[in-house]
Amino acid sequence: MDRECVSLLPRVCEVLAASGSSLPDDTSLEKLLDWFTEVTKAGTSLLESCPCLLEFISSVVHNTTLDPSILSFTLRLSGLVAVTEDAFTVLQQSSVLDLVFNLQHWQEAGLWEDPCIRIGWIQGLRTMMQHPKALGFFVQADFLKPLLQLQTDKSLFVASAANQMLAHVLLSCQSVSSVESNGVDEEGEDVGRSSGSIADLEYPAITVETNQDYAAVVTAISECLKKSLVPRKNSQLHQSLQILKLLALLLAQTRAPLWEKLLQMVADSVYELLAAGYSQLVLPLMDVILAAHSDLVHTAQSARVLLLPLDIITGLNLLTTTADEQQFSMVEQLKNKTSCISMICVCLTNTPQITLTAADCLPCPPVLIVTAVLSLLRLCSGDFSSSSSSSSSCRDVSRNIIGSSKVQKCALEALIALSGSPGVEVKLPEVVTLLVQYLDNPHSDPTVLHKSYQALVRWMSVCSDLSSITDQHRQDLLQVATKRSCDIRWEVRDSTVEFLGRLAGVSVVQTTAEEVSDASVALLGGCCFTTPLLRAALQDPESYVRASAISALAQTLAASWQQGAALTQEHTEIVNQLLEVLSRDTEGFARRAVVRYFIAWLSSRSSHSSPPPLASSSLLMPSVRSVLSRGSADLDWEVKVHTLELAELLLHEAFSGQRGYMKGNPTQTHPYAVIPDTLHTRTHNEEDVVGELNSLVQWGVVSALLSGLVDCDRPVALRACRLLMTLREVVCPLSLGALDATAAMAMVAKVTCELPGCGWAREIRKMLATKAKDAERGCSVGEVVDCDDCGEAGQEAASGGGQTPCVSVCEVLRSLDLDERLDVLTRSSDHVHNSPFSLLQDILTASSAHSQPDTQQEVIVDCY
Amino acid sequence: MPEINVTPLGAGQDVGRSCILVSIGGKNIMLDCGMHMGYNDDRRFPDFSYITQNGRLTDFLDCVIISHFHLDHCGALPYMSEMVGYDGPIYMTHPTKAICPILLEDFRKITVDKKGETNFFTSQMIKDCMKKVVPLNLHQTVQVDDELEIKAYYAGHVLGAAMVHIKVGSESVVYTGDYNMTPDRHLGAAWIDKCRPDILISESTYATTIRDSKRCRERDFLKKVHESIERGGKVLIPVFALGRAQELCILLETFWERMNLKAPIYFSTGLTEKANHYYKLFITWTNQKIRKTFVQRNMFEFKHIKAFDRSYADNPGPMVVFATPGMLHAGQSLQIFKKWAGNEKNMVIMPGYCVQGTIGHKILNGQRKLEMEGRATLDVKLQVEYMSFSAHADAKGIMQLIRMAEPRNMLLVHGEAVKMEFLKGKIEQEFSIDCYMPANGETATITTNPSVPVDISLSLLKREMALGGSLPDPKKPRTMHGTLIMKENSLKLVSSEQALKELGLNEHQLRFTCRVQLQDPHSDPDTLHRIYTHLKSVLKGYTIQHLPDGTVMVESIVIKVSSSAEDSNAKVLLLSWSYQDEDLGSFLSTLLKKGLPSGLC
Repeated sequence: MDRECVSLLPRVCEVLAASGSSLPDDTSLEKLLDWFTEVTKAGTSLLESCPCLLEFISSVVHNTTLDPSILSFTLRLSGLVAVTEDAFTVLQQSSVLDLVFNLQHWQEAGLWEDPCIRIGWIQGLRTMMQHPKALGFFVQADFLKPLLQLQTDKSLFVASAANQMLAHVLLSCQSVSSVESNGVDEEGEDVGRSSGSIADLEYPAITVETNQDYAAVVTAISECLKKSLVPRKNSQLHQSLQILKLLALLLAQTRAPLWEKLLQMVADSVYELLAAGYSQLVLPLMDVILAAHSDLVHTAQSARVLLLPLDIITGLNLLTTTADEQQFSMVEQLKNKTSCISMICVCLTNTPQITLTAADCLPCPPVLIVTAVLSLLRLCSGDFSSSSSSSSSCRDVSRNIIGSSKVQKCALEALIALSGSPGVEVKLPEVVTLLVQYLDNPHSDPTVLHKSYQALVRWMSVCSDLSSITDQHRQDLLQVATKRSCDIRWEVRDSTVEFLGRLAGVSVVQTTAEEVSDASVALLGGCCFTTPLLRAALQDPESYVRASAISALAQTLAASWQQGAALTQEHTEIVNQLLEVLSRDTEGFARRAVVRYFIAWLSSRSSHSSPPPLASSSLLMPSVRSVLSRGSADLDWEVKVHTLELAELLLHEAFSGQRGYMKGNPTQTHPYAVIPDTLHTRTHNEEDVVGELNSLVQWGVVSALLSGLVDCDRPVALRACRLLMTLREVVCPLSLGALDATAAMAMVAKVTCELPGCGWAREIRKMLATKAKDAERGCSVGEVVDCDDCGEAGQEAASGGGQTPCVSVCEVLRSLDLDERLDVLTRSSDHVHNSPFSLLQDILTASSAHSQPDTQQEVIVDCY
Repeated sequence: MPEINVTPLGAGQDVGRSCILVSIGGKNIMLDCGMHMGYNDDRRFPDFSYITQNGRLTDFLDCVIISHFHLDHCGALPYMSEMVGYDGPIYMTHPTKAICPILLEDFRKITVDKKGETNFFTSQMIKDCMKKVVPLNLHQTVQVDDELEIKAYYAGHVLGAAMVHIKVGSESVVYTGDYNMTPDRHLGAAWIDKCRPDILISESTYATTIRDSKRCRERDFLKKVHESIERGGKVLIPVFALGRAQELCILLETFWERMNLKAPIYFSTGLTEKANHYYKLFITWTNQKIRKTFVQRNMFEFKHIKAFDRSYADNPGPMVVFATPGMLHAGQSLQIFKKWAGNEKNMVIMPGYCVQGTIGHKILNGQRKLEMEGRATLDVKLQVEYMSFSAHADAKGIMQLIRMAEPRNMLLVHGEAVKMEFLKGKIEQEFSIDCYMPANGETATITTNPSVPVDISLSLLKREMALGGSLPDPKKPRTMHGTLIMKENSLKLVSSEQALKELGLNEHQLRFTCRVQLQDPHSDPDTLHRIYTHLKSVLKGYTIQHLPDGTVMVESIVIKVSSSAEDSNAKVLLLSWSYQDEDLGSFLSTLLKKGLPSGLC
């Protein structure tokens, strides 16, 4: 624990124990507890390092006039302090513990009514329950009874905390009992591990007496579960709901034998509840069924329960046999529109999970489930032609889902998830037909269209063999994509544009010649169709669409870049349009996408060693230069970060393999790390370095890095700083020093860059000037250093003058104190302001400001 | 009895992130989905596991409604829809839908800029979330599904802020979001129909305050800026991307114009352009004055306010700079602050609340020595001012809204417990309605009148109209007479004839009879005639017949006379009438009990 913090803590405790009202900032106490938790986790005993806490707790629990938020904090803190057995004993001996968790104490003070006290009590206990002593304390004080009551507390937060606590108690008792009954430590640890939260439990010898106590706790909880699960009156629905939540929690966390015991105990009640059909309980009941489905018998059973609504609505025989009674009661429930939609959605959401289970548990093959989902989607759009449901009541039920976009979205999600199931590829043509119909349907909601596009891309990428796709399919899709790309709603246009881009990223096998291409080519004929659509979308009034169009263009053109395609008029026009977007667009999204476009282009080109002279890439370098200069002057820091990424690519291209060049973060690379061979393929000599550095200056890489370095946004400055250090290692490593310079190194030192009069350059000049002054001062002390050159950079820069001054790149790199800057940037201002010290200080100043309201203006929390 | 449940997950007895769950008529609705800026982990978002443990919120929620673009009302939206998982509809007004992603994006950039930030939503997620948004127009009823409908009303507060009326069957709730009952420089005042909701859920930020007029605060602000400029100081105003910044720009622009000031005003990061675009686009949402003058001069085209370049911060002489972000916790505003903090001539004006851990919070609490990165300490010598310009209704405004909407119950959120308690007492006293103020996680339950839908036969409606009634109007409820029958689990109101026909029943006549004794020394036929004459004179306009069978009939009422066996002067009158003439029958019996006037022949 920080010594400065320890010294502030007693005063903070004093302030808290004396404050009658809550702190002006409601997060302070939470953050204070966070810090204490962190300290405890690190293995430090809170009582030992901050003895003032014991005094604090004991004075606060006796002072019930304090603000409830401070009392609640103290309850939680007590639990945290007592997390170790030793501290627990100290608290107990000083008789603080008994009072802290004494319910009557809080009830008599009239504070138990406040939910934050109840929650503090539960959470404090829960934190403490990490060792058998605490468990013993819990059992002896008979806290189970109030805890069971709190489970149906009027406060959702309290009820939920009580549920968590009950689960925790049950799991703790269970592991203790299993240690005892099996006499094998390993078993106990195993159970402990499975529950996660009590992973650290290690129970020493436990007396038979206490073990019986634990068994009694387990029995009491399970009895309560069984008894309260089925509501006897409507007013008990809330209790059932809570019990179901607890049950889902327990079934997900426990293991044999408790798991089986629980299931056995509640199975009948669960079935009774299912039959009773309380609409409010459907969802939590489904959660319990799903949590219980990890064994085979229950899997088959829950699969049947989940598929039944789908079976009834579509009339497809998914379940070979169903009890008439069950079918009848389900049909009755489905007749109500609201419950029908919610049941179908739960069923659809869980269908993919069902298909993941073993084939022998499935009542029908996945392909039949896909058929059912497709049939359901048709029903949703009012198409009853393929429905095979015979009875009129089933038809009534089907009518409930017509036009429901909620069901449509769930069904499309299910269709996406089912695409990977075995044997479903045969459904591809049917899926495509249906999805195109959905895309064409004028009544489709934008979110439904979005999901339809996603489903289409997904099925394309999973079923890579498109031989079953007909020309009619292609034609329909072309038409619908064209139509939707000019939809009146931007959401639809954006989804369409995104779809065109994603399709280009999916590789598929076409009918003839087994040729591999992307799905965009296979389905839509590729660039000649998509590029004009996307170019039109660059003019879209909505910035989101413009950004998507730019990304989609990059995806569509990726293949032609890799193949080194010839430069076309269209290419030139696109590049001009993009540069226009970069300098004119008012939204960051679109500008970011432009920079990413060039990053994609540059990286795909890098994989080709020598492009043909008239290839489209001949346009690349001049445009990259514009991107660097415009991007680094952008208002959006993310555009600047992307621009630096582009600069990094150029840096990498120029110097990979060069001595001293490390890709990425120089400080994080281990000095003895093995550098991949590929980096050594190109050998450089000093002349190459001069040449490359000159090009980097000309492309504007160096200016981009320098302007980034002085940026006010930390991520930009940090990245620029790292890249500048990389550059320095290659062109003028500090280790060599100015005097060791060879003739070639002297050449490198002569490479200069401009420092124009704009903002960032002024800042750099100032830094250089300061450095130069420092150096001069150093000289005057008498150090023998040839200052001619090093002074020149600074003086020249500082003088400013009419002409744009030039400075040596090497000099700038050496003079900027990059290492120190990196150090500061890595730590960031957050390091200061989110520290525990800052928190303690804030509590102290806030309280003193609060106590002198006259001198301080009232700061009202309102909105942001 | 049907119930409405309201459970705040946030904004219950606090001013944190707003997130309120309403369950009405079997529908579950989330009102606002805000974020708490004071945390940098998942606690900044509402804990949605209270709604469902499996993370599938779509199964549970029917819709989400966002009141306005402030982050404490919409900041958790992408987290909820894209990271936890919600696929259902999200409703907000057109301006909110346009501006909300800008603020979310702005905040995302500030957040990911910090070190060690994880689990935060991406740009793509913001976009995907916004694609789920269905825009609302003011006063237009939107049908979420067959039963649930919502309608937005103007709320003032910020551009696009709305109150929303939620209705299922005959039950309804109004949620105000943040609102303002007095018009300000660029926005109008909130307004709502007299919609008599079962509950009005209102914010109560200024529950106990009667706020001084905004004019005073504005004057104060201008005075402070002016003084600082006059003495050659620089003024920094840290702001968030959109909203308050524009308000203050208009204020300074007009002041500069009026006073003919020359010191430059700068606005960083090109936000004015974007903001102007939206204010122009949504001109109908601004107040009347702006709309009127818009044709001659666009209020948002600033003459004096120019884009900021980072090198300007070092320029000598006075200037005013608006810079982001608003709490001085990163980026440009922090950089400028560090440069200017050392000069006591300079000033920083914090126009909003700052969370713990930010420089803004520290200086507002009076810290004068700030620890900076690299072990440096920054001496804060510049003047620090806090000025809240946020437009919330004060106690008076809240009462005014209650008078406007006439709710059956009141529920307070978005305020401090102590202040709410005070307002609650006032409301209960003045309006005699229940006022609730649930804490976060607590549920307020209100029982409502059950609504029983009834079909009415066309013939009955036509008959009612023939009787001179106006066309049926849901806004003007009135009484109708008919027979209520229940057939196949549904209720129908029909004419009695139709009821008999449909149910296959015969009509039974019900007659009331009564005896009246009177002394009349005449023969029975004479007495009957005397009665006939008497009634003729009293009941003008009624059909009165003296029938040959020895009875008198007044409408359906039959009157017979017989003498008592013992005393021939003591007559017994037998009156009989059908239930339709109940009133007339009882009138006649009372009349005849008084005896016949002597002058009758």
